[in-house]
Amino acid sequence: MNSEHKSGAETPVIELRTVNKYFGTHHVLKDVSLSVRQGEVVVIIGPSGSGKSTLCRTINRLETISSGEILIEGQPMPAEGKELAQVRSRIGMVFQSFNLFLHRTILDNVTMAPMDVLHIKRKDAEEEALKLLRQVGIEDQARKVPAQLSGGQQQRAAIARALAMHPKAILFDEPTSALDPEMIQEVLDVMTSLAKSGMTMVIVTHEMNFARNVADRIIFMNDGAILEEGAPDEFFAHPKTERAREFLASFRNEQKESEL
Amino acid sequence: MKNEKNNIRDFLYDEPGPKAKRRIIFWTIVSLVPIAFLLYRMTVRFQENGQLAPQYWSFFLKYTTWRFIGQGLLGTLEAALTAGAIAFVIGFLLMRGRISRSGILRKISAALIEFTRGVPTLLFIYFFFLVVPQTGLKLPSLLRIALPVAISAVGVVAEVFRSGVNAVPKGQTEAALSLGMRNRHVFYKVIFPQAFRYVIPSLISEIVIVVKDTTFAYVINFPDLMQNAKVLISNYDAMLPVYLIVSVIYILINFLINQLARAVR
Ligand SMILES: Nc1ncnc2c1ncn2[C@@H]1O[C@H](COP(=O)(O)OP(=O)(O)OP(=O)(O)O)[C@@H](O)[C@H]1O
Ligand SMILES: [Mg+2]
Repeated sequence: MNSEHKSGAETPVIELRTVNKYFGTHHVLKDVSLSVRQGEVVVIIGPSGSGKSTLCRTINRLETISSGEILIEGQPMPAEGKELAQVRSRIGMVFQSFNLFLHRTILDNVTMAPMDVLHIKRKDAEEEALKLLRQVGIEDQARKVPAQLSGGQQQRAAIARALAMHPKAILFDEPTSALDPEMIQEVLDVMTSLAKSGMTMVIVTHEMNFARNVADRIIFMNDGAILEEGAPDEFFAHPKTERAREFLASFRNEQKESEL
Repeated sequence: MKNEKNNIRDFLYDEPGPKAKRRIIFWTIVSLVPIAFLLYRMTVRFQENGQLAPQYWSFFLKYTTWRFIGQGLLGTLEAALTAGAIAFVIGFLLMRGRISRSGILRKISAALIEFTRGVPTLLFIYFFFLVVPQTGLKLPSLLRIALPVAISAVGVVAEVFRSGVNAVPKGQTEAALSLGMRNRHVFYKVIFPQAFRYVIPSLISEIVIVVKDTTFAYVINFPDLMQNAKVLISNYDAMLPVYLIVSVIYILINFLINQLARAVR
């Protein structure tokens, strides 16, 4: 009880307060408020175009916001310069298209930012990188360039690259959507063990089984707004809104079709 | 080996079948006929007006002739390397200006790029040969050829670099930024190295143009290959042989540049 009370008083790692975002006249985030606790795994689901990626990208300011506030560990997100870079270095990001540095080896991909941003010596950075690559199961690929790896291996390398900065939280924007079905699981496995290790994670995904298993909280977005949020068991069993029911039903149909 | 697709032709066409092979042989012969005919006619003509007489060729047996050509070659290489280096540095800076966040810098750079691309090299040569000295500025002859040649190349170099930078996927920048890297570091460690690789072929074409532009050196009496060739011609009254040999040397230089580029990649 006592410990629960304490964690409740902790400052959230990520906090959004009535965030709005426009692309021109297009209102893509509508009064979005969200707070992510230390060690929490938040999974964002919702139909295409509902603003999941945009939400994710505003959290490390790859996308600016039109109004509202974003706090990282209680501090407002800086607008630019060294301070912004410093905050970004504490929030990892894993992209749908991996975005590994194509001209460098996997090892260099993982060591580049620690050396450049944290000024860690090459030898130490490489030692750490190899440890992380082992952790995601691709230690033997360290000397190859990204193009020589399968999609699943590239995405695991990208996760290792994010981990190398010892981030406070990691954002995942559809990390398995660009992967062939047989590679999806290897990436989800890495993410599951990350979640178990206590990493704070915000994950946009269409993998419903995975969401149900790892999420502490599900966020359902529709048309730029958070329509529903709750514990996974509750959400998947009894979605409160009609829109969420439709969305989940479309997934069940898809699954049935693929099972046929 | 055969299945490896590493030539652009392999992407453009199927593996030729028997019919296609016969057609390729046919067109090869058809295209060789006029070339052979032209060569034959040329030889006959030269024979007739005595261009092939030993007196027009024998000086190529002399060591001094080749030393003189060699000196010209060195002059050409010196001018081309200097011009190339200047063009790369200024071209790079212009590209940085062209993509800078300052609107004024962007406009100035764009104007300079358009200007240097639009004006013929020879006008820049005349400018450095005739106008600049009147300001009292005395440039060494190497710079009097290298600077104008470089200036006429910087606009293209800048645009080539910029096209390379634009070709690097946006995700590369986003990944680097999300790791906390600063803009400048993102550019130099992630974007530009990739951009450079993309544009190596275009840069090679531009270097070849720079080499060819250095032939304007004769205008200012800078001792490059072309200038020395002119001296040989007037000494021995042998235009055809000298131009022939010199052309072959230029072709060889550019061939070597291309080979070098291939080796680098
Ligand atoms: N750079 C942009 N400029 C203009 N509009 C944009 C831009 N990026 C996204 N949008 C629009 O914002 C809305 C939300 O896009 P977003 O990519 O966040 O959706 P999403 O939920 O991630 O969708 P998906 O499941 O397809 O990835 C969409 O209508 C999209 O067209
Ligand atoms: Mg998206």
